[in-house]
Amino acid sequence: MTPTALLVLIAGLGLIGWLIARAKAQGLNTGRGALHSLPNHHGWYLALWIMLPALAAVFLWGAVSPGLIHSAVMADPATASLPAFDMERNAILSEAFTLADNPGAAAFNPESEKLVPAVVAAKTKFGMIGAALVILLAFAGGAFGWTRLTATFQARTKVERVVLLLLLAASLLAVLTTVGIIASLLFESGLFFSKVNPLEFIFGTHWSPANGSFGAVPLFWGTIFIGAIIAMVVAIPLGLMSAIYLTQYAHANVRRWMKPMLEILAGIPTVVYGYFAALTVAPLVRDFAVMIGLDNPSTESALAAGLVMGIMIIPFVSSMADDSIAAVPQAMRDGSLAMGATRSETIKKVLIPAALPGIVAGVMLAISRAIGETMIVVMAAGATANLTANPFASMTTVTFQIVQLLTGDQEFDSAKTLSAFALGLVLFGVTLILNIIALRVVKRFREAYE
Amino acid sequence: MSNPANNWQSPEAEKRLARRYAAERQFKLLGLCAVGLSMAFLVFLIGTMLIGGLGGIDWAFLSGSDSTEPETAGVWGAVKGSLLTMTVTIALALPMGVLAAVYLEEFAPRNRWIDLVEVSINNLAAVPSIIFGLLGLAVFINFMGLPRSSPLVGGMTLALMTMPVIVIAGRNAIKAVPPSIRDAALAIGASKVQTVFHHVLPLALPGILTGAIIGMARALGETAPLLMIGMRAFVSTPPSGISDPATVLPMQIFLWSDEVDRAFVQNTSAAILVLLAFLLTMNGFAIYLRNKFETRW
Repeated sequence: MTPTALLVLIAGLGLIGWLIARAKAQGLNTGRGALHSLPNHHGWYLALWIMLPALAAVFLWGAVSPGLIHSAVMADPATASLPAFDMERNAILSEAFTLADNPGAAAFNPESEKLVPAVVAAKTKFGMIGAALVILLAFAGGAFGWTRLTATFQARTKVERVVLLLLLAASLLAVLTTVGIIASLLFESGLFFSKVNPLEFIFGTHWSPANGSFGAVPLFWGTIFIGAIIAMVVAIPLGLMSAIYLTQYAHANVRRWMKPMLEILAGIPTVVYGYFAALTVAPLVRDFAVMIGLDNPSTESALAAGLVMGIMIIPFVSSMADDSIAAVPQAMRDGSLAMGATRSETIKKVLIPAALPGIVAGVMLAISRAIGETMIVVMAAGATANLTANPFASMTTVTFQIVQLLTGDQEFDSAKTLSAFALGLVLFGVTLILNIIALRVVKRFREAYE
Repeated sequence: MSNPANNWQSPEAEKRLARRYAAERQFKLLGLCAVGLSMAFLVFLIGTMLIGGLGGIDWAFLSGSDSTEPETAGVWGAVKGSLLTMTVTIALALPMGVLAAVYLEEFAPRNRWIDLVEVSINNLAAVPSIIFGLLGLAVFINFMGLPRSSPLVGGMTLALMTMPVIVIAGRNAIKAVPPSIRDAALAIGASKVQTVFHHVLPLALPGILTGAIIGMARALGETAPLLMIGMRAFVSTPPSGISDPATVLPMQIFLWSDEVDRAFVQNTSAAILVLLAFLLTMNGFAIYLRNKFETRW
């Protein structure tokens, strides 16, 4: 029996349990106040008793049975003739499993066909055992639950306890994700650093994974130059001025139209920006470089990627600045205006200094987003690791290299592939620190004016 | 201003004032320029795509799958891959996100553990998407052995990325439901769980859905994490299930943009238009939902 069919069966049994338990509770309800819990709660109680043990069994069996099937197949006389060499034998075995699943497929290895009956037999046998186990548990759970249902039984309390556990589990998933990210990055980077000296990785200035040199400084520099310098030079003035204009000067009607328009910029997928940067902006930048007298500039430039990335970040900076300016108390603004300052003087001398912590935090979040940005640099920034401050040069970034190292078919435990995880760890660490500081600053800042 | 009849200000003061007013105008103009520049870029970008891609959209393009010939290549395979991936994402992220939001907002005790949960949710919302791709590669593919390039793994990876967005939107929506609703339900004997699921959650639902749609729109346009888990295969037949190798719309754009053949340029722009149309529809729907169901308590 397939797992899907089994799950449907369990759901069906649960529904039946829900209906009969509700009917029983309705029968027990002899008058006002006779039942402790609503009939629905009795229904849920029985349904949970039917479904939860059975579901647990499905998952446990799903984890255990492949091993059992494998050993059953290996015990079959047909496997005795298999080659002793591990890789060959595994290839034949996995082909036999594929053949057992879809009988029409063509066999590449004639020996695997002989194994098919054994595989099918083992699969059917253990599938039946599993299904029987699951159904048995469903009925056992149901029977136990059924005996508990009486008029005074506190079904609601029990059901709600399960609901609370479910809610807690859902919120723990976020922690689990964080732990998963940290654990997997640390584990794979640990493997990498057992092959490559960490100091060489952090301080080395030559990056060429194909030749086994892993000095990541050019990548860090490229990331900072594109994400934290060029992009911010574009995004901070434009974003800040847009926020100031839209909140302080623009007519309400204009603002109602302009703000969503600006937010469209944030909603455009990064792959579209990357395509635009590579196809339209990069040639323009190249032409410009030729015009100012550089000879033979590359088509892939840090400037093109940084410019487009900056534009992508504008709405982000703008909305953060908007929030922090709005958080400045009206009294400060009124005070400045009452002293005879013009609006621009009030903005420059009062609002922005007062909102500065919030704006700086917003810029930090924007930087953390820019250095983690992948598609724009993959499509427009180039692959050569250059340690230069020339914006017209091709430059590579951490995210670009992660993509470069992990796409395509490679051995998974080579230093080249593992270095991507080390880069990921650095990226995660830096963005995490930026985010934590920024979120803290924002929180403090809000509290200061409340 | 400088009317000689009532000249009660010194010429120096008037000059100073004129300078300040000029600075004021300049500042305002600067702001207008910033907004105008951003808008101009948006118009330029969309205009470029429209000019490049509008001619490439026809029925054959919308119903075909990827091909080595630019004339016969279409987006349906990628669109179907996107739909399957998004189905997995929403099926996982929405229930988990809503339940987590309910727990944190209504039931969670105030202690260090819950602070940890909150910090990690806020941080996850700002972690670069490529990191989620690394997680998907390490955990779902290498550790759990799920099929590479499949909408199942893609959807699970994007669900982890979307869940924090839904949790944050959900918490704000739940927070906006006034306490009097809860008090009324509790006062007539409802339990805390009944109060939340029968009264608070239905009232918060439009807000939650708006957040969910915006999160989904972001996931739909995401490419980097899917690159990590290998959803860049050449797929010439649309995937038939969530465990088949598939590609998604943004990935198709990326793959086509890499083609040497110049004829793919039109295809790329046309695929971008299809993707933008999907995103605009989703965002428009979210705005509609927000406006229609927004309640001022």
